[in-house]
Amino acid sequence: MSERKTHESDRVVLSVDNLRIHYATPQGDVIAVSDISFELYEGETLGLVGESGCGKSTTAYGILQLVQPPGYIVHGSIQVDCTEVLHLEEEELRKFRWTGLSLIPQGAMNSLNPTMRVKDQIIDVIESHEGKQNDREALRERIFELFQNVGLPNRIYNMYPHELSGGMKQRVCIAMGVALHPTVVIADEATSALDVVVQRIVAQTLVKVKDEIGVSLIVIGHDMGLLAQIVDRIAVMYAGKMVEIAPVENVYANPLHPYTQLLIDSIPSIKERKPLKITEGITHDPRNPPSGCIFRLRCPFAWEHCADAEPPPFNVEDKHEVACHLYDEQFEERRTNALATLANP
Amino acid sequence: MADSSGSGGKPVADLDSRFSNLAPSSTGRKKTGRFNRFDNPLLNWKFLSGAGIFGFIFFLIFLGNQFWDTDLALAGSSPLNMPPVGFTNWRDQEGIPEHPLGTENSGRDMLALLIVGTPRTIGVGVIAASVGMGAGILLGFMAGFVGGIVDDVIRLMTDVVIPIPSLLVLIVIQSALQREMDLVTMALLISMFSWAAPTRYIRSQVLSMRESGYVQMAQLSGVPTRDIMYREMMPNLLPYLAASYIGNMTGAILQAVGLELLGLGPQRIPSLGVTIFFSIEAAALLRNMWWWWGIPTVILAVVFIALLLINLGLDEIANPRLRKAN
Amino acid sequence: MGSFSLNYLLRRLLVFFLTIWVAATLMFIIPRLAPGDPISAMIARMSQFEGFVENADLIIESWRKRFGLDDPLYVQYFRYLGNTLRLDLGYSMGNFPATVAELVGRALPWTIGLIGISTFIFFTVGNLCGALLAWYKSPKWLKVMIPITMSFTSVPPALLSLLLVYIFAFQIPIFPELNAYGRGMVPAFTLEFIGSVLYHGFLPSMSIVLATFGYWALGMRGMLVTIEGEDYMILAQAKGLKPFYILYRYMIRNAILPQMTALTLSLGLLINGSVLVEIMFTYNGMGSLIYASINTLDFGLIQGTAFILIVSSALAVLIIDLSYPLIDPRISLEGR
Repeated sequence: MSERKTHESDRVVLSVDNLRIHYATPQGDVIAVSDISFELYEGETLGLVGESGCGKSTTAYGILQLVQPPGYIVHGSIQVDCTEVLHLEEEELRKFRWTGLSLIPQGAMNSLNPTMRVKDQIIDVIESHEGKQNDREALRERIFELFQNVGLPNRIYNMYPHELSGGMKQRVCIAMGVALHPTVVIADEATSALDVVVQRIVAQTLVKVKDEIGVSLIVIGHDMGLLAQIVDRIAVMYAGKMVEIAPVENVYANPLHPYTQLLIDSIPSIKERKPLKITEGITHDPRNPPSGCIFRLRCPFAWEHCADAEPPPFNVEDKHEVACHLYDEQFEERRTNALATLANP
Repeated sequence: MADSSGSGGKPVADLDSRFSNLAPSSTGRKKTGRFNRFDNPLLNWKFLSGAGIFGFIFFLIFLGNQFWDTDLALAGSSPLNMPPVGFTNWRDQEGIPEHPLGTENSGRDMLALLIVGTPRTIGVGVIAASVGMGAGILLGFMAGFVGGIVDDVIRLMTDVVIPIPSLLVLIVIQSALQREMDLVTMALLISMFSWAAPTRYIRSQVLSMRESGYVQMAQLSGVPTRDIMYREMMPNLLPYLAASYIGNMTGAILQAVGLELLGLGPQRIPSLGVTIFFSIEAAALLRNMWWWWGIPTVILAVVFIALLLINLGLDEIANPRLRKAN
Repeated sequence: MGSFSLNYLLRRLLVFFLTIWVAATLMFIIPRLAPGDPISAMIARMSQFEGFVENADLIIESWRKRFGLDDPLYVQYFRYLGNTLRLDLGYSMGNFPATVAELVGRALPWTIGLIGISTFIFFTVGNLCGALLAWYKSPKWLKVMIPITMSFTSVPPALLSLLLVYIFAFQIPIFPELNAYGRGMVPAFTLEFIGSVLYHGFLPSMSIVLATFGYWALGMRGMLVTIEGEDYMILAQAKGLKPFYILYRYMIRNAILPQMTALTLSLGLLINGSVLVEIMFTYNGMGSLIYASINTLDFGLIQGTAFILIVSSALAVLIIDLSYPLIDPRISLEGR
């Protein structure tokens, strides 16, 4: 495999600060995203992982201002190129969408309007942001170029979504997502509904297009193996909290948070058959999270202190942050012991 | 990072007390307003008000049967063309308390007519809808479950019957029979056409439900088909079936009223439709005898609106998305 | 697009011809189920009713010839089917020597016009109201007003017409209560005549529209609520499309398909209703024709009118069904 290009720029294109999203239910609010903060650099690919229900998709939809009721954003700040997304008026937001932030959706199967031709669904996004295109020939060429970028044949130009395969639909979504060269593209489980081979091809297409067009990308997924190959940095979420964020090599080689360790451990390996360490999902009531550390109920290393205080993000090495009390300097001894048990179970 | 709300100030020192987290919290109390306070689907206001109107109508009919002489619904039992109390007719006669809602031109008391006629009208609907629904459930489940040629034939039958304006066939039958028919016969004739819509509806529901995970699970684990139908699918279909039944009843009453308006209904003891037919025949509109056609019309309208409300309510009960949209 | 499969076409045609066959067969069987010789009984009742019947012998003759009552039943049946296919529906007993086909031919355009225009209005208005009810950007007052105008929904159109006649023809006489056009006018393509037709047709079509459009509004609203949760709606929002464009191109466009199906399913009921409305207004269409023939016990005319209306309904369903693939691109895939 060729050397992956990593981002060079230190310019922040997207910064999420203290974002909190709740879902209202009759029994009280479910905390889907709990005060998370992170930054995305220009040209970078950031992976957002975690088990189902950890809030990764909700985070994405929150950034896009698309949280569906009964969900709502409690507080936070989302800045794209210094534009505060949460303060945009309705019409400003409409114009900002797809030029500032675009989405490659989760269920590509149903994400295309079944009664519109593929071309019309790409044209409508172009025309609603750039006005009526009078040069139809140029418009067609532009769409063919997009098709070429994602490896789609020109013949699908006039087709309806139901005439395309799942992989093709997903590529149409990718072509659509980059059509206006947005600042940030968010791919929400863009490959989950596809079979393994197509998954890989689509993921590679995604990276290729991203590099060609030069956008910044957030990839949301749960397949650690697939993500490892396409992202620069990984953010790990658990129950609405961001527990660890680091360059991809660090996460795989040296996972710091006990949850990340479990996740990495759960990647299946052909060489050895090992029992799954993660045996249950998020166990606490999401309306009423435990005090202190969110992970302490499942954490093998938890002790009294974990219930008393919420761990702040500790900057362990360059660009490697982890929210776990083990990395507090005053608990160094405990950390050494914990890592020792991890090495010799 | 900010403190996580929801810890509720409850110190949890012991890690083993993880279950204490399941205790209800006080967070989010301000947002519960966006939900229907009565989350029980049966406490749907449309369903309840429709059922309430219906119950009230039956209560009034019951009272009427107890306290009013229903023989006054027969021709010649009362003075002719009397207006309701507080009004005058074209002959400047005042309404009299013996006939509070007035009388019509063959000497029937309007109040007695309503007490006798309303349950007859609703009764036709109940009989026709029940027979049609019974056939619809049987055929719909057969088509959806057996599939193959059975499904093809049943589907073809419904496709053929549904576009037929049934009132016209009923008119042909009624005028060929050349004699007055009783209420039950009329209801049974109407039900000849009221099976097709529920069959179609139930078939499509069964088909989509068959595809659903839990029914396929049951099939894989060897549960007999009959048990799947009655234990797994019926309970989920119930709100749909109820809505379909009410819709069917509306249709049947509509047909019956249609036949009666044409003078093809049982006329000795008039139902609401027949009363309106008589009033049109006697030019009650020209003579400004509004109570004659107006009161039965309003009662019918109320019955139809109540049925619609029940139907809409049941729709919302069956489809939670519609509920949320309110 | 437009290339719907042969399978689809054949199935629709099969349903169409089966419907006609069922209707014709019903018309053949029903009088034979009645006690006694249908024709003699009819004539007897007519004489009873009107004292005597003009040309009774001729009618009996024509009917005997038509039914060939002495032939075996299957011969009668096939002859009947043959006659019906040629639209030879016999003579009207009440209007002899006019044939049933003539009378029906004169009345049918009025009925088609009334139903056609009413359908156009309630389908458009209903779906529009439903869309506005479901759309998040509709003003609040609209969301209050529309349900109020829908309060006549589910009241039978015939009863509504009674109410409208009473109010707008008797109490506040601004509309005529009778006929499809002004008295003494001769049907012609003049502005005056067309104006008169529209004037006379207003209340009848209003009764149908007011009683039905609410159903379509509710149906549309229900469909849109379902569509709002679809993935492509979220993507449309993310794409930053203009709200009105999303409403008609993404929401209504996808919801109108099931609404069209619902329209084909409700055509029978619609015809039932409009027959009664015509009677209330003595509108010159099929409804009034059938009412007159019930009163004169003109059984041939009842049969013929009913048969032609059933055929019209089946034909309308066929036309909508065949235009369906033009609206829904997915249909063309069926059976390929």
